[in-house]
Formats: sequence, C-alpha cells, structure tokens
Amino acid sequence: MATMSTQIPTAVNERLAALLAEAGLGNRSAFADLYEATKSKLFAVSLRIVRERHIAEEVLQDSFVNIWNNATKYAVAQSAPMTWMTAIVRNRSLDIVRRPFLEIQDEEDFYAINMEDERPGPDVQLAARRDEVKIERCMKGLDGEQQQTIALAFFQGLSHSEVASHLGKPLGTVKTHIRRGLLKLKGCLES
Amino acid sequence: MKLSNLELRSRLASEYVLGTLRGGARRRFEDYMKADPALRTLVVNWETHLSPLAERLAPVAPHPRVWTKIAARLAHAGEKAPASGTKVSLWMNLSFWRGLGLGASSLAVALVTAMLVLKPVEQSPILTAVLAEDNNVARVFVEQQKSGLLMVKMVTPWKTMNGMSLELWVVPKEGPPRSLGVINNTGETRLALVGMDEKLSGGLVFAISKEPLGGSPTGQPTGSVMCKGAIAHMPSKLPRAPI
Repeated sequence: MATMSTQIPTAVNERLAALLAEAGLGNRSAFADLYEATKSKLFAVSLRIVRERHIAEEVLQDSFVNIWNNATKYAVAQSAPMTWMTAIVRNRSLDIVRRPFLEIQDEEDFYAINMEDERPGPDVQLAARRDEVKIERCMKGLDGEQQQTIALAFFQGLSHSEVASHLGKPLGTVKTHIRRGLLKLKGCLES
Repeated sequence: MKLSNLELRSRLASEYVLGTLRGGARRRFEDYMKADPALRTLVVNWETHLSPLAERLAPVAPHPRVWTKIAARLAHAGEKAPASGTKVSLWMNLSFWRGLGLGASSLAVALVTAMLVLKPVEQSPILTAVLAEDNNVARVFVEQQKSGLLMVKMVTPWKTMNGMSLELWVVPKEGPPRSLGVINNTGETRLALVGMDEKLSGGLVFAISKEPLGGSPTGQPTGSVMCKGAIAHMPSKLPRAPI
C-alpha cells in the first residue's frame, strides 16, 4: 500500500473519501459537496498547465465527470483522495494542453511562487501540514538546474523540448537534468 | 507485452507523473499500466510524493458555470453507466450464483450456528455469511453487527498471496458486483464504508476475488473467484414458533 499523503490533514482526507464513497453510490449532493471542497485547488492545478481559463474549465468539467464515473473505483485506489483527484486533473490537462503562444513563467524559486501563505496562523491544520511536506525538502536538496527543470515540467506541464527552449539549453542537457533530478528525488523521498 | 527493465520502469513512471512523458509514449505507458499492477503502484507512489506540490498552489475559484455544465452532463448521462470492458461474464451470470448448492448453504448454517453459540451474548447480527470454496472448505466468515460496519474473519487463510490482494464483493440480484474493499488474508478485517448498507441492500452473495495488489484496477472483479457464500439476512426478532 502506498503511504497516504501527509499534507492534507487526516480529517479532511477522511471527509473527501467519505464524499467519494457516497458519490460512488450515486449520491449527487455528496458529489456537489466534493466539488465545492476541491474545485479551487484543482482549478489552480489545471490553470497552471493549460494557462487559459476556458480550457481549464473544460478540464475541470471532464475531470469531475470522470471522478463521478469512477468514484466506485476509488474505494480500492491506493492513494489519498486529493492525490487521486489531482492526478486525474493533471492527466486531463496534459492530454489537452495547447500552447500556441507560450509564455513560460520562471520557476527558479518554485516553492515561493503562487504557494499559499505559510505564516503560522490560528489554523492548526495549516501548521501541521507545513512541517510534513517531504517533497519540498527533497526539492530543495536538488541542484539549481535540476530543481528548475523539474519545477517547470511539473507545475506548467512543459515537455522536455519546451523546457529546453525556455531555458535556451540543449534538449539532451535538459533530459539529463530531469532524469538525474528525479533519481535524486527518489532517493530522498524513500529515505 | 511487459516493461521488464527495472530502471526503465522506474524512470518512465517518474516521467509519467512529472508530465514529461508525452504523446504516443504517454498513451503506450498507460496501456502498460493497465496490465501491470506493479507499474501502477510505482506511479501511485510518485503521485503521492509529488501531489502535495500541486495541492499547495494558491486556489483559484472556477466560474460557477463549470458546475452547471458538470451537473448537466451527469443529468444527460442519466443513471450511472455500468463499468465497461471488464471481465464480468462469470460474475454477471446469475445462474452461476444460483449454483450455490444446498451443500454450501447447510454448511453455512452449521458454521454460523457454531459461531453464534461460541460467542458471548451480544446484539444479534444483521446478516452473516460463510464463504467457502467449491470443495466446501470454509474460508471466510462475514458478519454485520451494526449499520455501516462489516466484520470479515479469515477462517482458513491461503498459504500465499504471491503479491496479490483479496477483494470482497457483494453480488446483488441485479447489476454488477459491488466492491466492499480489500481484506486481509489473516485475522479480522473491519470494513467501514460510507453507504455500506446501501451497498449491501439486495445482496445475494458475498464473493472474494484475487486481484492485483491493492485491489481491482477496474472497479469490477478481474481475477478468479476464491470463495463465495450466500448472505443470510437475519430477522430482527426471533421468529415466532409456528402455531
């Protein structure tokens, strides 16, 4: 069994899992609650990749129809609800992304960009999650070029050649940065 | 066909989740995954690792028309479409389930009675079943004591699971089997599902199938039936003696 994501507090994950289970039984009001609880997070994920609101809206529609149709399968999925839904949205975004006029943002300071405000607040859940995201620690352990190429690919859904043209680097070099960066990440994540 | 090179499997799984595996290669990889649960697990592990990055992006509210369109598409689709392209022929064949003979039923009654007698006085169960193999070896005892909770006791564990999982299904009078979750090959598994009672309503038979690690990748049984048993819905009060 894969380990559950520790980022989202257990209570939230349990609620989402319960809503998914209800949706799997055809409960539309539970499905509406699930949409309300996750739409803004998932829309942000897609928007970052597809860039255009109307395309991200299509992605969100397609993804939620997919989530509704596959909710019964979630019962045996190996991941946390938000991980499962995020993967559906990311995959759909990557499938339909069109970029005629590509403007790529820099991702050098990947963890500072567009991230939620992390200042400690009264929200204990937020405080708990701040300490727990291993991937961020591991990303910071990569060298600058690995970090940059991986962040560009992940957040903006860039292909190898798009990353290469954005950075003005040879394709082979970019592929090497990504491959070595992922290997290093794997070592860190599994340590 | 299978991807056998370990290093390649690992690299492709990570690039699939990162998103740099694109186009035809991405689709071929998805085809490999369908037939290769271990590869699917590599992907799920990467998704679990990387997803927190995506989840922390600042939220952006979508326009309300998105929900209107989703709701319209669901309404248009009407009732939920049955899972397609899955191996349900045997599972969907009711005569197969009716073939649960008298032998299995009387065995079930005997075992249920024995287990009830051995237990201290408790609230009476809502339903019980003994799941046996075709040769009548009792494997699993299932009992629902209270709403929403199912107790699954492994009576005779299998010697080895070879990296596979056991998944419990309820087979209703009509329609495809409904998954109740993956169970342990030893001891007790407590299954607590939201909507458990709805899932169980109209259930004729419990069955356990052998599935890829973590359970069926399709939401419908894909592996062979390991054991099965008719469900005994217990009356809420003891039946009165015949007059």
